[in-house]
Amino acid sequence: MKSDAALPADPQPIRRILVVGGGTAGWITAGVLASRYPQRGEDGISVTLIESRQQPPIGVGEGTWPTIRATLKQIGVTETDFLRECDASFKQGSHFVRWVDGSDVDAYYHPFTLPVGYEERNLAPYWLEDPRGQSFAESMCFQSAICSRALAPKQITTPEFTGLANYAYHLDAGKFGPFLQRHCVDKLGVRHMVDEIVRVESKDTGDISHLVTKSGEALAADLFIDCSGFSSLLIGRHFGVPFRSQKDVLFIDKAWAVQIPYPADDTPITSVTVATAQSSGWVWDIGLTTRRGVGYVFSSRYLSDEGALEELKNYLGARGDLSPDLSYRKIDINSGYRQEFWTRNCVAVGLSAGFLEPLEASAIVMIELSAKSIANLLPSCGGGMRQAARLFNDTFRYRWERIVDFLKLHYVLSRRTDSRFWGDNRARESIPDSLREGLEYWRNHCPWHEDFSHREEVFSAASYQYILYGMGFRTYPAPWLLNDRDRNLAREKMNETAQYARALTASLSGNRDLLSKVRRYGLQKI
Amino acid sequence: MVNLVVLSSQTHRNVRVATARSSGDYAAVNAVGVIPREFQRLLAHYPIFFTKSTDTGRFEPAALLGFERHENLFLVNDRWDAVYVPLQIQRQPFSLIPRRSDGAPANPDGLDVAFDLDSPHIQTQEGERLFLDDGQPSKLLQSITSMLATLVSGSTEAYAFTGRLAELDLIEPVRIDIEFVDGSETKMQGLYWIAAAALKALPAAQLADLRDREFLEWMYFQMASLAHMPALVARKNRLLTGAAAAPFP
Repeated sequence: MKSDAALPADPQPIRRILVVGGGTAGWITAGVLASRYPQRGEDGISVTLIESRQQPPIGVGEGTWPTIRATLKQIGVTETDFLRECDASFKQGSHFVRWVDGSDVDAYYHPFTLPVGYEERNLAPYWLEDPRGQSFAESMCFQSAICSRALAPKQITTPEFTGLANYAYHLDAGKFGPFLQRHCVDKLGVRHMVDEIVRVESKDTGDISHLVTKSGEALAADLFIDCSGFSSLLIGRHFGVPFRSQKDVLFIDKAWAVQIPYPADDTPITSVTVATAQSSGWVWDIGLTTRRGVGYVFSSRYLSDEGALEELKNYLGARGDLSPDLSYRKIDINSGYRQEFWTRNCVAVGLSAGFLEPLEASAIVMIELSAKSIANLLPSCGGGMRQAARLFNDTFRYRWERIVDFLKLHYVLSRRTDSRFWGDNRARESIPDSLREGLEYWRNHCPWHEDFSHREEVFSAASYQYILYGMGFRTYPAPWLLNDRDRNLAREKMNETAQYARALTASLSGNRDLLSKVRRYGLQKI
Repeated sequence: MVNLVVLSSQTHRNVRVATARSSGDYAAVNAVGVIPREFQRLLAHYPIFFTKSTDTGRFEPAALLGFERHENLFLVNDRWDAVYVPLQIQRQPFSLIPRRSDGAPANPDGLDVAFDLDSPHIQTQEGERLFLDDGQPSKLLQSITSMLATLVSGSTEAYAFTGRLAELDLIEPVRIDIEFVDGSETKMQGLYWIAAAALKALPAAQLADLRDREFLEWMYFQMASLAHMPALVARKNRLLTGAAAAPFP
């Protein structure tokens, strides 16, 4: 006789996965699951993606995090095809302009490459002690020099998905979904349907049993993944999972977006996202191979739509980019995330799960992490669903909270006084406790690995170091915790960084040049 | 510096090329680009790898000549110590450049023959003439022109070859660590060769396609050529032990 422990509560196998929505979230999730579990039919799982094509993609999620390289590799596309078909360019970090005091010289980098020595020792205290006239990012990371010259993070001889400096991409979100779709359908056996969902049918247990489409089809599945975007079809409308607004922490709630053509075919392409602070928010500026994407995310509490458009035009005008042909698109941003993301047999990924201002390009990385987690946690049968959901919810609640903290950090450290927007951002009641406590701690302790409890942090101690010290925050470690051995190591590493930066800037070609070469010759797999 | 000029039967009627050509500066390289059409002859002396073009990242076949930058172990007392010299070396100081003007002896591909006016091989008193008295190309020039044309078509073939191999994952990186007789070590990077295991596992249809395009034959030449690696190491060891003057048997 079998023991009870071997009998699952619900023996229904989890083999049919239905992804609802065909944007970036839908196709990344379908691609990650289908590539991880490649067996179809009798011996495997089925992955079906249904989209309505009613709503055009939001299309502002153009920045990514370096995790995207592993994700694309996992899905099985080549970097060459991806770069060519999504008009993608290399992104090596962010450049924050006018965030500290708004002056003309106010700018700093948050590069993707970790600070020098990061794997061994926390050297930040020694930079603080003697910065030798250089910014933290310059002293501690060779990539700053590459970014400031709009150079590429690799060479044409560097194999696919590897770099001499850590990098991600800027991409055309409108092309990324269709690109992944072709691969998922042609290579990974994902079934694709275009139809509208009109009804959700439940089982007695409360699980979703099937979705009914406009054309009358009943789509049954064991796991439903809600990638329906802001409409939040399953997690929001069907299950009614509450939305946790973050608007009291992050004030941004609107955006104006515009696409700017390049004046010439050989105009350099910036290899970072440029985020320039304005009176009531900030302007993003992202260079693709074919155009730039620029937009002003602002807070309607402090600025009218017209006022924001005017500021955006001033930004463009100052760069000679203003032209009467430009068309501006208004986007609403509702900062926040669901109270839980996985409920019963349904899990939300992408905008349906939550959205925050694109200050640190967290949208696509959260999709990747969600897809990877679902693949890792995927229960064999219904009995495992509850535990998988609990683990997923705990992890992602933590991640959303940490992202909110990290975004807020940029505002809290600002000393701008040009509008109430900035002053209110520093008001104590608008700062999450976790961030306030962190800042208190970092007054005498430079951010380090153990300050963050999870194995895979979206923003690690390295990111905190770049922002804190980029924005002029001072840490005063106790002198008895510093020593000459580490001091000498720091000196050595900083010298090496300067040398390496010189060598690389002399040998790397421009971001635009390399992208043109990739278009022409492709990158080798090895 | 190379002073490249387009060859003209008018201006360069009396130009001569040194007959006893030393290999000179052109040969101070540790690898030289080669074309599949010469693999069979290269096979007698050189290991043939792939390297990546620094300009395009594409794979190119190359004969390995030495282990350090500028080290050509086939250059012994300024003389090429092998019966067959790769075409890329033989052609020097001539090359083909895209046509800019007319009136020059050009081949039909819209390319002009050019040469390095400052090359020590270019003379006016001694050596072999490029043009006959009536301005017609000499035998020497004819053979140079044909060699250059072979290199141009050979390069197209080479890229078709390496492109297909890369597509089929039949090229893999190789790391070569060598310890020489004096205890010094070298680690060679940036070299690639045929992925023999992948070739063995290749489906029949793809294998037949490689055979039909002559690629399979070239691949085997290349794999066989690696047998010259010990000989190349031996050349270096002889150099290190002061036996360099003795020509290679």
